[in-house]
Parts: sequence; structure tokens; C-alpha cells
Amino acid sequence: MPSPTLIGQALLAGLFTGGLYALLGLGLSLTWGLLRLINLVNFALAFLGAYLTYHIATAWRFDPFLTLAIVVPAFFVLGVVLQLGFLRFEIHELTSLIVTFGLTVILESLIQWIWTADFRRLETPYARSTLKLGTLFVGVTGLMGFVAAAALTLSTWAWLRWSYLGKAVRASAEDGAMAAAFGVDRRRVALLLSGLSAAYAAVAGLFIAMSHTLAPSQIYAWMGVVFAAVIIGRLGNALGLFTAAIFIAASEALTMAVTSPGWAPLVSFTLLIVVLLLRPEL
Amino acid sequence: MTKRRMAAALAFLACGVLLALLPALQPPAFYETFLYLIFFWVALATSWNLISGYAGYFSFGHAAFFGSGVYTTATLTSKYAVPFLVTLPLAGLVAALLGCGIGLVVFRVRGVRGELFALLTLAITFVLATIVLNTPIDGGPGVFLAAVPVPAWLGSSHATLYLLSLIVALGSVATAFAVQSSRWGTGLFAIRDDEDVGEVLGVPTYRYKVLAFAVSCFIAGVVGGIYALFVTYVTVPDVFSIGLAVDAIMMAALGGTRSWIGPAIGAAIVSGLTQTLTGGQSAILNRALIGAVLIVVIVFLPDGVAGGLARWGRRPRSTLAAVTVTTASVPARQQQANGMPLLRCSEVRKAFRGLQALTGVTLEARAGEILGLIGPNGSGKSTLINVISGYYQADFGRITFDGQEITRVEGHRIAGLGLSRTYQIPRSCRRLTVLDNVALSAMFGVPALGREAARSEARSWLGFTGLAAKADALPAELNLHERKFLDLARALAAQPRLILMDEVLSGLTPAQMVGAVALVRKIRAQGTTVIFVEHIMSAVIDLADRIVVLAGGQVLAEGLPRDVMRDPAVIRAYLGRAYA
Amino acid sequence: MLDVARLEVAYGDAVAIHDASLVVSERELVTVVGPNGAGKTTLINALAGLLPTRAGTLRLDGVDLRSLPPHHFCRHGIALVPEGRRLFGAMTVEENLEMGCYAAAPRAHRVESLDRVYALFSILRERRRQAAGSLSGGQQQMVAIGRALMARPRLLLLDEPSLGLAPAVADHVFEVVAAIHADGVAVLLVEQNVAQALAIAARAYVLEQGRIVAEGVAADLAQDARIREAYLGRQ
Repeated sequence: MPSPTLIGQALLAGLFTGGLYALLGLGLSLTWGLLRLINLVNFALAFLGAYLTYHIATAWRFDPFLTLAIVVPAFFVLGVVLQLGFLRFEIHELTSLIVTFGLTVILESLIQWIWTADFRRLETPYARSTLKLGTLFVGVTGLMGFVAAAALTLSTWAWLRWSYLGKAVRASAEDGAMAAAFGVDRRRVALLLSGLSAAYAAVAGLFIAMSHTLAPSQIYAWMGVVFAAVIIGRLGNALGLFTAAIFIAASEALTMAVTSPGWAPLVSFTLLIVVLLLRPEL
Repeated sequence: MTKRRMAAALAFLACGVLLALLPALQPPAFYETFLYLIFFWVALATSWNLISGYAGYFSFGHAAFFGSGVYTTATLTSKYAVPFLVTLPLAGLVAALLGCGIGLVVFRVRGVRGELFALLTLAITFVLATIVLNTPIDGGPGVFLAAVPVPAWLGSSHATLYLLSLIVALGSVATAFAVQSSRWGTGLFAIRDDEDVGEVLGVPTYRYKVLAFAVSCFIAGVVGGIYALFVTYVTVPDVFSIGLAVDAIMMAALGGTRSWIGPAIGAAIVSGLTQTLTGGQSAILNRALIGAVLIVVIVFLPDGVAGGLARWGRRPRSTLAAVTVTTASVPARQQQANGMPLLRCSEVRKAFRGLQALTGVTLEARAGEILGLIGPNGSGKSTLINVISGYYQADFGRITFDGQEITRVEGHRIAGLGLSRTYQIPRSCRRLTVLDNVALSAMFGVPALGREAARSEARSWLGFTGLAAKADALPAELNLHERKFLDLARALAAQPRLILMDEVLSGLTPAQMVGAVALVRKIRAQGTTVIFVEHIMSAVIDLADRIVVLAGGQVLAEGLPRDVMRDPAVIRAYLGRAYA
Repeated sequence: MLDVARLEVAYGDAVAIHDASLVVSERELVTVVGPNGAGKTTLINALAGLLPTRAGTLRLDGVDLRSLPPHHFCRHGIALVPEGRRLFGAMTVEENLEMGCYAAAPRAHRVESLDRVYALFSILRERRRQAAGSLSGGQQQMVAIGRALMARPRLLLLDEPSLGLAPAVADHVFEVVAAIHADGVAVLLVEQNVAQALAIAARAYVLEQGRIVAEGVAADLAQDARIREAYLGRQ
């Protein structure tokens, strides 16, 4: 039986990884739940953001957080352009899954072409700093990622819940024609959501860059786990996603601490399979 | 067998033999490898297509079954010294059993379609990969197979692998062809286009899907077994890779998922291109190109290269000015129009989330009659049709058909008892020809006919409904009137004793309506009892022997048309109190 | 105010509305009656901008509505109470009402409008935080009407508001419609229930199989044999 410290450390690691999962899944959950589009390219975008963060921070010696000022707006525009493409070619549901898979492959090639397949590691002063909480070491980057995830998911949820535009978005998802009858511009809503989704991916990329080594093949490693969190947390539900992400990551971390690290993926994917079979109506 | 078919089969065989002789010519290893890889992808793409292209269940997990084949061979040859060739069918079997097991569970769940199935199969790949990686099957370092003996055919072990791969590729294409030409294949296509309709027509959807999945996995497993010895060193990330699934999907999509040769065409093109554009930067560009091709194909060429060729090669359809009801001969039913009750509903109730659609319907339809079912909006007419035909299950009450209880029986079993229906909005299988749409119900109805017999039966029903000239057209090329008649022809081809028609006249011009009314009379004349739901009063009074009026979810009045329409209660229901 | 001339609406190749012409003046209550399947919902959905029209003209105070995108219709004072209510079921009653005044002009008067709606339908005030989908049919109809009122329309389009409701509740709905009309809002009411519709309307049109087969003063039309024929067939 592993020590409480080990368990505690594992849980902390789980919390921080869960934060990353939530950041990665937020855009996906929103577009899937509210636009019925499965936007796989979110993952590739996050990695593109991660690489860009690495590049800008390393080449121009910026503080990584400052890169957000450039990357986030750029990605917002990218998301809007993507949605324009979807609208123009009337792509939905399964087709969107395949098209975005194709886009993922293209982006992956682009990343590999620019930055090669060599591993890249962003060195930041944050990476080495830790706080001490009793007997536990709390990595600062992990903590920041967690806080960012919590803040973004909470504010997204609040925005959807209380703001007029948020209500319009929800109404549009339920009955687009009736929402339009009362003045909601569905096209604008779709563009906004897509842009937001890409912007979230940019933020996710920042924290991935700060805490992980980057390699183009890594794009696919996160897919399964994030999908599991998105589906278990129910589509379009930001808080649900956050909870599910933390839960999955914590389970993985505990599994890793108690058994061997290799078994961790089994947790999330088995959960995903179980949920898909028991509650197929998303 | 037609001449064209003979020629194609001979060409196929000739190609096969020529390719098989290649190693004997002792070419540079590059050519054998080049072709081996093309055969590899042909087999993978074609096998993927069996479940995904034909049935519409897009699997993202082909790598899982390929991988299980790889590791079956790897384990059996390296740990248990089983001869290589013996492991190949075993590799296929392991993969097939895996697929079968998964299919048995997953296909039972009604909501798992489309993107959910894709995700599920994706998850299975990762689960399997993790299990293999963390158990002694692989354990991490991979499995070395260089020491495993491979029999040398035509001179070298390399040639053996080449020939095996050729055999599997040819076998998979032949399998795809055989499946597509069979009842099974037509059923799979129906599943892709409209699974619910197929189910009601009698297609055993569950069985067909599981079988298709199992065969698809078997082939992938065998390909995997051969691959293991081709590379002689297998690792989990290399084998259980998502890229494999994506490439197979893309090749099949490029070539055409509705065709038996499509995936092979796509595989040949892509694999050929990939192998010629190798090396350094080109490889990366190539990956990007693959992604781009996938997008372009999915968006612009939903039927792929093969689909495009097929459309180009189809015989030009003759246009029919008006749909005329001909006096084609159709099998007359042995049913006596004896006036005995054929269908009986007793106190049938159905509610949807608080809304009481049917509040106790009691009526009967007599053999040989044309019964009109009318009522104001919201009275429950369509719900009643749906409950009788098994689309919904009644909450309460009894429904008997020719004495047999059908109250909570499944849709396709009710169809099998001789009860057919049409839909308010015609639901045809979009990608089956008009002929095959009708043949579908003859193939899976009672009695179930073979493909050719069903097609000729279908032709006579198309003649009956005046659609004979459009037999080879696709439903999208018909106008509304013709699509309604297609729906009717399909319902009739099942040789029903009772047919439920849901608003078959709505949307027709007065001229078309005359023809439709005549057709309904003909249907009754050849022995089928008719219940039809309609709004157009003049047609109802004209056509019906008896009328049943539904209001508020129950029967308000029934009897002869003129009597019923003069009944004060009926007038009140339609026009309001002031009029009665 | 509302001027419809020779309107044609089709679903693909099936023409649902042929050559329909009707007029609604300021503060008028006009009704369109007709049997099941006549095309009433198609007509009203086209007037509200939910369906594209193939031919004809559709003008509101001279503005050509056919050239506008769907989400601009409400800017000209049209509000729809659709068949089957079509509420945003997962959202609360109050959120549904708020969506009614989403557009900029009515949004400025949100609080005032909400008060008016709650005054008209007191039960909604009690259930304002309840999910709209969990209410009874009659209550949902009230939410649907309230949502349309929040848009402060000059022309209210109602599609079979009494459908699926118990007679007593249906009566109440008609009373509410009459009251709204009395407040000065023009109303176009599509109904299957002829008697009640003709009782509160000034003028009426009869729609049968996509065509307008009769029109006139409501009281006169009530006695007209053509209504009977449209519903019950030629005797």
C-alpha cells in the first residue's frame, strides 16, 4: 500500500493533468454540443499553439504568457475561417470528423516540416519552481494550468448561463430556426463558437508547452482521453467537462501510482467505452 | 453469367496469375516490396470497407484487428514455434473473434451509430494497445521475428510473403465482390441508407452487421500476420497506430466506398504515390497531401473514383412523361375478400412524455376492404399507424392481425406476418436503385426470395405502379409523386395481406390523384386489404368502403362514408360546436 | 400592413402553397382556417421567415421581407407563436421569455415586457425558474405566446394555438388572443378550430390544399358552404 504522500502527490499530478485535459476538451465540447460538429483539429491546433509558444518564447525570449497575446487572437481568426469552410460546404457530424482528421494530418505535417520531429522542450523559470504544501511538492506550471482550466471553464459556463449571447447560443443549439425567428444570427453564433474553440486550444497549447516535451506524434496521444472527458462530462457542459477531466486524470494518476504507468490509458478508454455503451444519446 | 461479368472475371484471374509470376523473374527487391505494400493496402482498405463503406458504420479501429493478427503470429511463431503458415488463419480467427465479440455487444445498442461507433472503435485500439504493451505479449521492447523460418516459394521467403499478400488482396476483393452481389450485400447497403426502414422490411440488421464486422476483421488479422514476418520486428506503437486506420479510410473513400473495387483503386493510387514520393521532406509533404486528398474526396466526391466512373457508365435513363398505371400482371393473392376482421385494435393507448396520443382506440379492418382513417390534426392517426406497424409499442390494449397477437411485437416481425406500410415522407434507400429498393422488400419479406428472383418480382411491381421505365434510376432522380409510388411498390413487393398507407395522396396534383386512386383500387382488387390515412375528403369519400374517424386519440365514428360525414359529432370535431 | 401576393412555397418539387394572397391591416384580427394538410403551417412559417418562398411578394409596411435573412424578420415587428410551441425546452421559462426580446429594440424594454407577460399569465411568474420542457401543454402555450409578446410585435402570427389542449384551456388561449388584439396588436391566426377562430376574427381566409378558396368577413363566412366542403368534402 503506497504512502499517503505518494497518493497525495499522485492526486495532485492528476489534478494538474486534468486541468490540461479540460483545456484541450473545452473547445471540442462546445462545438460538438452546440454546433454538432466534431472538431478533431482542436488537438492539432493546441499543439501548433504549443510549438508557436515554444518558438516565440525561445527565439524572442518572451515570457511564455506573453505569447498568448499573439497566438490567441490569431487562432480565433483561424477558428472563424475554419467554420466558414464548414458552412460553405455544409459539413456536419460524421463528415466533420473525417474532414478534421484530414486537417489534423495536414497540420501535423506542417509542424513536422517547420520544427522537425525532434523533441522540443520549452525551458522556463516556472518549470523549476515548486511550492511546498505540507509534504507535497506542487509544481507551479501544473498549478497555473489547473487554475487556468478552472477559470476558463467556469467563466465559459457562466457566460453560457447568464449572458444574453450565451442564452442565444444555447437556444440556437436547441432550435436554430426559432432562435433565428427571434433575431439570433446563427451564422455569427457558429463563427463565434468556432473562434472561441480555437482560442481555447491556443491556451491549452501554452500550458502543454510549459509542462511537456513536444513532438508531432504526441497530437494523437491526448485524443482518446480528452474525448472520454468530453463525452462523460456531457457535450456543451463546461463544468461537466472539468469535473470529468479531473476525475479521469486522478484515476489515471492513482492507477499509475498503485500499479504500473503503462496501464493508465486503459482507465480513460474503458470509461469511454462504458459510457458510450450505456448512454449513447449525447 | 453475363458476358461482361465473364470478361471481368477472366481479366481478374489473368492479372492475378501475371502478378504471381513476378518473383520468378528475379526482379530487384524494390518491385516486390512496392507491390507487396500495394496488396497490403488493397486488402486493408477493402476489408475496412466491408463494414464501414457497405454498412455505413465507419470504424476507426481497424488497427486494433490488424494488430491482433500481427501479435497472434508474432507470439505463436516466436514463443510456441508454430509454423508461420499455420498461424495465418489463426491470426485471422483471433481478429475475427475479437470483432465478433465487440460487434455482438456494440451493435445491440441502438444509439451507437455514426460518430459514436467511430469513437468506440478508436477507443478499442488504444485499449488493446495498452493491454498488449503491458503484458508478456509484447511487454515493451517489441517482438523480434528474424529467426522465424518462412517457407521459400518461387525462390525466396520474400517471394512467399509477396505471394501470400497477393492471395489475400485478391481474396479480399473477391470477397467484397461476392458480398456486394449477394442478399447480404443489399441488406448492408440498406442498413447504410436507412437502417430503421431496413429493419422493418425484414433485413436482419444485427446479424448482418456482426458478420460483416467479423469478416472485415478476419482479413485484417491475416494481413497483420503476414506483415509481422515482413518487417520481422514488431512494436506496439508501430502496429496499433491510428494512422493505419486513417489511411485505410482515406483510400476507400478515394476509390469509392459503395464499390467492391473502389478501395482497391484508392489503395493502389495512394500507396503507389506514397512509395514514389519518399525521402525526407517529401515524406512530410506526402502526409499532408494524404490529409488534403481525404478532405477533398469526402467533400466533393462522396462516391469516390469508382462512383464517378459508375455514374458516367450508366445507361441513360429514358424519360417517362407521365406515370401511367399499366395492366401488368402481378401475382394475385389467394385471399378471400370475405369481410371477416383481419386487423383488430382493442383499447389501444399510447402516450409520449405526458402527451396522450391514443386514449383507447377500438376498431377493426375487414378482409378485402378499403378503410379510410381520418381525423383532425393531432387526433392520433399517424401514431396509430406507427403503433400497428410496430414502429412504436402500445402502452395498453391489444392488436391482433388475422387472429395473431401483434401488440408488442417488433417491427420486422410484424412485416413478416404480412403487414406493410408506407411513410408520410417517402423513405427510400438513397443509394440503391429504384429496382433494388423494391427488390429489398421481396428479398427480406415472407417468403424471402433470392436476389434474382426478387429483382424480377420487383420489376413486375414497378410495372404495376407505372415506374417500370425508372427501374435503374436513383430515388433522388424521381419526383415526389414517383417517390410515393416507389414507396408503395416496395410495400407491395412484400406481398402483404394488409397495407397501411400514410397520406399517399398529399402533395399530388388533381390529375395525379386520379391515377393514385385507381392504383389503390387495383391494389385491393389483387387481394390486399387497405387502410389509408388521408386528409383530402373528396378522395376519401370516393375511395373508402368504410371510414373511421379519430378525434382526441379515440374513435369518434365509423361507418359508410356519407353517413359518417353527416354525423353531428364528426362535424363538431372538425368545425366546432357552432356547426353541429 | 401585411401584404402577401401570389406567394408560392415549395418543399423541393412539392409545391405546398400556390398563388396565395392575403392582407392584414393595422390592429386587425385575421384568421386562416382550413383542414389538416391544407398548408396552414407552411404558410405561416413562410410569413415568419422560417421557410424560403419560391415566388410572389411578401411586404410588411412596404418592406420586402423576401429579400431579408430569417433573423431580420423580427426587426420589422413580426413575432411567431409556432405550431407545437417549439420552446427551448432545456432553458427556463424566464430564459425563454428573455429570448423573445433578444433583438435590440425590444430588449431595451425587457423588464417592462416581462412584467406585462407575468401579469397576463400569473402562473408563469411562479414557474419562472422551471425548465420550459417540464410544463404542461397549456402552460407551454402561454410561454410561447409570452415569448412572442416579449418581442413587442406589431403583427403576431399564431399557428394553431389550441392544438392538443383541453377545451377549457383552449378557450382561455382564445381569450388571451382576443385580449392581445384588443391592446392594439394585429393578429394573423391560423386555426383548425373554425368556430372559435371565426368568433374572434374580423376577416377570414379559407385554405384548402395550398390554395385560398374563400375569403371574406368572418361572420359571413361562418355560414358559407365552402368551409363545410373544405373540411368535410363535397356532399
